[in-house]
Amino acid sequence: MAPAALFDLKRMVSRSLCCLLPVAAALITSSPAFAHSENGAAIDFAGGFTHPIFGPDHVIAMVAVGLWGAFLGMPAIWLLPVVFPLVMAVAGALGVLGVPLPGVEIGIALSAIALGGMVAFAARPPLWIAAVLVGAFAIFHGHAHGTELPVGADAIAYSMGFVIATGMLHVSGIAFGALSRWPAGRVAVRTAGAVIAVIGFAYLVRVI
Amino acid sequence: MNTLLRALLPIGLLALTTPAWAHSPIMGIGGVFGGMLHALLIPEHGLSLLALGIALGLERPAASRSGMLIFVAALVAGLAVTAFIAEPALAADVLLAATGVLGLLIAAAWVPPVVAWPLAATAGVAFALDSRPEVTATDEIIRMLIGTGIGAAIALAIVAVGSTFLQGNVARIVLRVLGSWVAAIAILDLSLRIATRLATGS
Repeated sequence: MAPAALFDLKRMVSRSLCCLLPVAAALITSSPAFAHSENGAAIDFAGGFTHPIFGPDHVIAMVAVGLWGAFLGMPAIWLLPVVFPLVMAVAGALGVLGVPLPGVEIGIALSAIALGGMVAFAARPPLWIAAVLVGAFAIFHGHAHGTELPVGADAIAYSMGFVIATGMLHVSGIAFGALSRWPAGRVAVRTAGAVIAVIGFAYLVRVI
Repeated sequence: MNTLLRALLPIGLLALTTPAWAHSPIMGIGGVFGGMLHALLIPEHGLSLLALGIALGLERPAASRSGMLIFVAALVAGLAVTAFIAEPALAADVLLAATGVLGLLIAAAWVPPVVAWPLAATAGVAFALDSRPEVTATDEIIRMLIGTGIGAAIALAIVAVGSTFLQGNVARIVLRVLGSWVAAIAILDLSLRIATRLATGS
């Protein structure tokens, strides 16, 4: 990397951290996680649709997948959002059926750190590594949601809402990530990745 | 852009699907037309037709036609049986499993006839066995099952033919994403059904 680019990156990261540390502090000191709690929520399409959206840790990871896919370009821009829901659904099924998985919350926090960090540092690993990484983190997200899906729900409507909402979060990440084709947009996208990583770190501190 | 809009249309329709009309009779509508609506308004059935239609649309025309004929033949055979037996409990599960596999194949953009045709047959039989209307009169059951067969065949043909027009790169990508969503929905739905059965002991 050229010295000037390295200097820009360092400056961008340091500015981002200055802005984000108060946010991280606020998150660390806030009340316990509302993510993935949906007691008494509707169990129809609307319930499934709102379930991933009301879990901020889930939201930032979904958006990060879209951001990273857009950042990597074709074919990652569609491959990563295809891999994620498939693996998430399989892991969700295991969660629904009561198969235990250790370290779920830590895995979710790490997913935000890793995926956000990939975007922040403009990491460009081989496509298969990116897909494996996204798939691995999807296991934790899927399992967390699966264990909290209400048994007895209107299964098909709930599942449709859940999957479509997840897809929409990917799309929103891709839409924002598309800004990376312009220099200023590239800075904005990488900053967003840094924000996600910092929030993920805050979650990690809270769950450890 | 028009291609993109056409590709997004199934997603929009999927999102607008109304919840849980499964097997509840539609008040005031019976007979053949009621059977057609019965086939189309059950979300699991609509999802399976969407998946099978897209999968067949990705094949060559001759293979696609053969797949549709296999589905219709299996559907007719299944409907004939359905008229005289109680609805098997696992028919919906088998239909969802077939739908999930079809979704995976669409996501992989790899739909060989040797895999698609058995899935079409499986989906046809399971679709039919899961379609017994909740009415008691035998002649009404037969009329509604005829309507179910007609509705399913027409819907499948429309989706299969319609998806052949989605040829651009963007459209192909949207189809693959849609396939992954269909597979994910089927997997989650199937697992929720199994978990509910285990929880209720039914």
